[in-house]
Amino acid sequence: MRRKSRKLVLLAGACAVALVVVGASSGAYKAPHGKAALKTLVFGTSADPIVMDGALVSDGESLRAIDQVTESLISLKPGTTKVQPGLALRWKTSKGGKAWTFALRRGVKFHDGTPFNAAAVCYNFNRWYNFSGPFQSADATYYWQAIFLGFKKNESSDLSPSLYRSCKANGKYSVTITLAKPFGPLIPALSLTNFGIASPTALKKYNANRGEIRNGIFTPTGSYGRDHPTGTGPFKFKSWTVGEKLELVRNAQYWGKKAKLGRIIFRPISNNTARNQALQTGEIMGYDLVAPADYASIRNNSKLKLLTRPAFNVAYVTIHQGQGSPMNDLKVRQAVAYGLNRGGLIRSAAYPPGAVVAKEFQPPQLFGYAKTGVKTYPFNSSRARQLLNSSSCKVPCKIDFWYPSAISRPYMPDPKRNFEVFQASLEASGFDVTPHTAPWRPDYVGKVSNGTAGDLNLIGWTGDYGDPDNFLGVFFGTYSDQFGFRNSKIFNILQKARTETNQAKRTKLYQQANRIIMNYLPAIPYAHTSPALGFRKTVKGYKPSPVSLEPFSIVSVGGV
Amino acid sequence: MSIAEIESTELALEPSTGGLWRDAWFRLRRNPGAIVGAIFVLTFVVVAIFAPLIAPYPPEEIPVDLPATCCPGPSAAHWFGTNVVGQDTFSRIVYGARLSLIVGVVSVTVGLSIGMLLGAIAGYVGGFVDSVIMRLMDMLLAIPGLLLAIGIVALELPIPKIYQLMVAIGVTNIPIFARLLRGSILAQRDNDFVLAARSVGVKRPTILFGHILPNALGPVIVQGTLALATAIIDVAALGFLGLGPDDPSTPEWGNMLNDAQDYLAAQPLLAIFPGIAIMISVLGFNLIGDGLREALDPKLRGR
Amino acid sequence: MLRFVVRRLLLLVPILLGLSILVFLWIRALPGGPAEALLGERATAARIAEVRHRYGLDRPIVAQYWDYLKTTASGDLGQSISSRRSVMSEIKQRFPATLQLAIVAMIFALGVGLPLGFLAAKWYGSVFDHLSLVGSLIGISIPIFFLAVILKYIFSVRLGWLPSIGQISVTTEMNHPTNFYLLDAVIEWRWDAFWDVTRHLILPAIALGSIPLAIIMRITRASVLDVQNEDYVRTARAKGLSPQIVDSRHVLRNAMLPISTIIGLQTGLLLSGAVLTETVFQYPGVGNWIAQAIFNRDYPVIQGGILFLAVVFVIVNLVVDISYAFLNPRIRLSR
Repeated sequence: MRRKSRKLVLLAGACAVALVVVGASSGAYKAPHGKAALKTLVFGTSADPIVMDGALVSDGESLRAIDQVTESLISLKPGTTKVQPGLALRWKTSKGGKAWTFALRRGVKFHDGTPFNAAAVCYNFNRWYNFSGPFQSADATYYWQAIFLGFKKNESSDLSPSLYRSCKANGKYSVTITLAKPFGPLIPALSLTNFGIASPTALKKYNANRGEIRNGIFTPTGSYGRDHPTGTGPFKFKSWTVGEKLELVRNAQYWGKKAKLGRIIFRPISNNTARNQALQTGEIMGYDLVAPADYASIRNNSKLKLLTRPAFNVAYVTIHQGQGSPMNDLKVRQAVAYGLNRGGLIRSAAYPPGAVVAKEFQPPQLFGYAKTGVKTYPFNSSRARQLLNSSSCKVPCKIDFWYPSAISRPYMPDPKRNFEVFQASLEASGFDVTPHTAPWRPDYVGKVSNGTAGDLNLIGWTGDYGDPDNFLGVFFGTYSDQFGFRNSKIFNILQKARTETNQAKRTKLYQQANRIIMNYLPAIPYAHTSPALGFRKTVKGYKPSPVSLEPFSIVSVGGV
Repeated sequence: MSIAEIESTELALEPSTGGLWRDAWFRLRRNPGAIVGAIFVLTFVVVAIFAPLIAPYPPEEIPVDLPATCCPGPSAAHWFGTNVVGQDTFSRIVYGARLSLIVGVVSVTVGLSIGMLLGAIAGYVGGFVDSVIMRLMDMLLAIPGLLLAIGIVALELPIPKIYQLMVAIGVTNIPIFARLLRGSILAQRDNDFVLAARSVGVKRPTILFGHILPNALGPVIVQGTLALATAIIDVAALGFLGLGPDDPSTPEWGNMLNDAQDYLAAQPLLAIFPGIAIMISVLGFNLIGDGLREALDPKLRGR
Repeated sequence: MLRFVVRRLLLLVPILLGLSILVFLWIRALPGGPAEALLGERATAARIAEVRHRYGLDRPIVAQYWDYLKTTASGDLGQSISSRRSVMSEIKQRFPATLQLAIVAMIFALGVGLPLGFLAAKWYGSVFDHLSLVGSLIGISIPIFFLAVILKYIFSVRLGWLPSIGQISVTTEMNHPTNFYLLDAVIEWRWDAFWDVTRHLILPAIALGSIPLAIIMRITRASVLDVQNEDYVRTARAKGLSPQIVDSRHVLRNAMLPISTIIGLQTGLLLSGAVLTETVFQYPGVGNWIAQAIFNRDYPVIQGGILFLAVVFVIVNLVVDISYAFLNPRIRLSR
């Protein structure tokens, strides 16, 4: 009896010792890599791309991957919003700003070997213009609708007549795109990944125009976006296992400076903290959207470095006006503005160092920012109470306040903390706040656009291209369900600025608009942040861009 | 002396066992585990009930000037430190006990009552009714507890989240108690004293309430204590998964643990305090439940 | 025995049917079902009615149930909204991962729980015994998610001994004929991959197996104690049989019976524990998948996933019942 027991004890002890020895002796866990892996960059993303077809996506992860594979006519100087030639070398406008002619780059080939030329460009533009059926859902073609407003045959009354008229190929290397009206921001808008030019041969061969609505969500059914995205970019698509990795390889036939990396692997890790931990253990070599709480751990780790993007976003509190809403009263809106402890929140650990309180709805570096004459609202709970008591919603003023759950946005790293701080300061200012929440997609985003997310809700915006129209025009240029207000002064000035093509005049118009908006308070901006990326020190050359268009072709991996 | 008198004297000489409950209490008192458990549970209940008196700050209170970095550790002003938005961790743990206790007790009571009712009906009426009820219970048991609770919370009933949690966890308890009582009834139905009582003409409900239920009480109490332990973990699990009350300032241990994950590197204590709080309360109930089970085990009587 | 088995199999049908009804009704009760939630910003009353009609959501409920039953039985569980892949293909990829994790967790629980329980019984009343009892109670009381977070923090983030997320390093390339990564590594004769997958399994398996370990330890201890005091053991010892033989032939074999039932009953714990463990370790199994789906209101995944898990649970219970019947001679030898 004794012997058997002792044997068991020894066995158990041996196992425990083995476990410890195994763990300790192998030292720090290193993801396996060999010589070839030196030139592979493993990048942690927050989710898989939805589909690898630029025309059909609007989420950051899809755009990040697609941006390496396709290119647009216009590109941006890395790290800035300055436009520079992309697949188009030069451009000029005529016919009162309604026609734009682009001279195209020569000698460029798509990844499948077919030539890039004017016919290919027009094929792409016309493909988008001719989208019909399920492709017209906002779910599918958000950016085309945002810029060009409509399609050849609008199938819904929600769509406006299209801004796009036609695309004409002038020979092999020149195209003329004609619009219905002049559009100031066209050139920067064309830098969007959504307008990347894909190989017409591949688009046709792999049925890129097949899709349907399943469960209310647009789903492409061709294999183009899943298995054969084909562009002209410095990287080619290799393979994609959903939930595991998306693999791109270097395009050795690229027309420009070839990529310094042999391979990129995008690895989806949905949890922010898990991404950070993966970076610390070396399982990934970089990731986006570092949480403020992790800044310190990355900075303190000698093997890691933190890169920040120039601030190009705004976090704001939507104020929903409408039938019988207390928010229709300007005094109530002002009370909200004075009742939000914006400074306290931004200075806390819930926001990363470098975040600033937003005074206006657009970031300061963008032209059109009004440097003077803008009304400000420092936190003042007693002032807020006074305003409420002289308004139509006496203290306590009951309001519904929504925030998104299970999401982290660059301008709002931890929505729950924002909500808590704001709730507390509003309650101290005479409001009676009822909290509501919903998951980010599809519910929350949908409800906010719908105007069914209470009186106040937390949301924000990252600029897509370097133009104030992309901030102010998008939200306040016309009536929207989200804000529910009608103010012709604001609508008119923004419409005017949109169609104006003289830069100096546009700047003045937007400055005026910013002043009017901060008086009228359709929403309350509260933060601009510089989102950060974390990398291992061996990754060099990555240039963070304000609009998150970051080419991996200039990145290299050195050392061990 | 007559035979009867001799017999009665002999009977009187036998040591009295004092009845099931007295014995159980006696054995419980000598069980060190149960005593520790009782201390834990008592602490938990006292803290929960007297939370407003014990907590130095309101749990949701956020100062105007928040700490610039996360998160200051224990200090004289804040015994357990504060979290990212400056809320006092100690106060939140204290109020968290209150929430766990309330949700735990209500949900177990709901599950117990409905479960016992169904079990009694099934056991006593028998036949088709019994089959139907037991099939229903089987189906509920077919879905693992946490998943069932998640499923019910996902329904987003038009009542405050906190009641939804109670309903969800309550429902997971129903089949357990139904089975328990039905089993007890079935086991006792053919007992001698029951047959005897029926033959004498005692009404069925009287037998049920007077004989069968008291005998089933032991296992029900044991199961109830263990169910409370599970309920506390389930509430925390749901909060951890983000399915708790909408107000993120709600002091709920699972919610606190979830929030702490993001700040683990900066301040691990934010996760350790709620985790240990959950552990101690659950351990307390488990210890008592275990002790009760041993104490009430008739096999051990008289040893 | 045969009659027992047949009866249990027949019972399977009404239970599965009942489950499908329950899940179907539950789906219908979910807020903002298919129509509203996903028309999103374009959800006007007219639009909702249109979508309803297109998807047959305005037909009588029994007809809808029949459709649901037909499509589900044919294996079509719909399509995930987040990933746009079919629910069935996701299950095929993720379930083996969870199963693998559960099996390794069980092996861990048995491997440590059985000897500990046996020893605790052998040394009844000793310090070891008391400590093991306390340890097992702590094991049952510690929330899985707390243990998982602490394990990850200590062994992965702080010490760096083990990976923190996933099933396999992304730079390890391998074919996956069976989707059971450990098995695949063996089939492909890739010991580096095998080792890689094992390292990813260690922490989640410990967290997941902690509760089964505690339970198995206690049951083993109780069971061995019971059997040890039985008459036939005493007789065997009195006969002069060596202690080892007494232990293995009589004590252990008979103590195994209740333990084997318990193993099957752990399935429910393992499944719900998997949801929590996989979330912490971002392990790509069904648990993590369902948890994410609940956040994303991915209804097809929620309904398909929960139905699938319930069916698995029912089948495992059936197998346990039948194997118990097999092991218990009283039932095995009956008609």
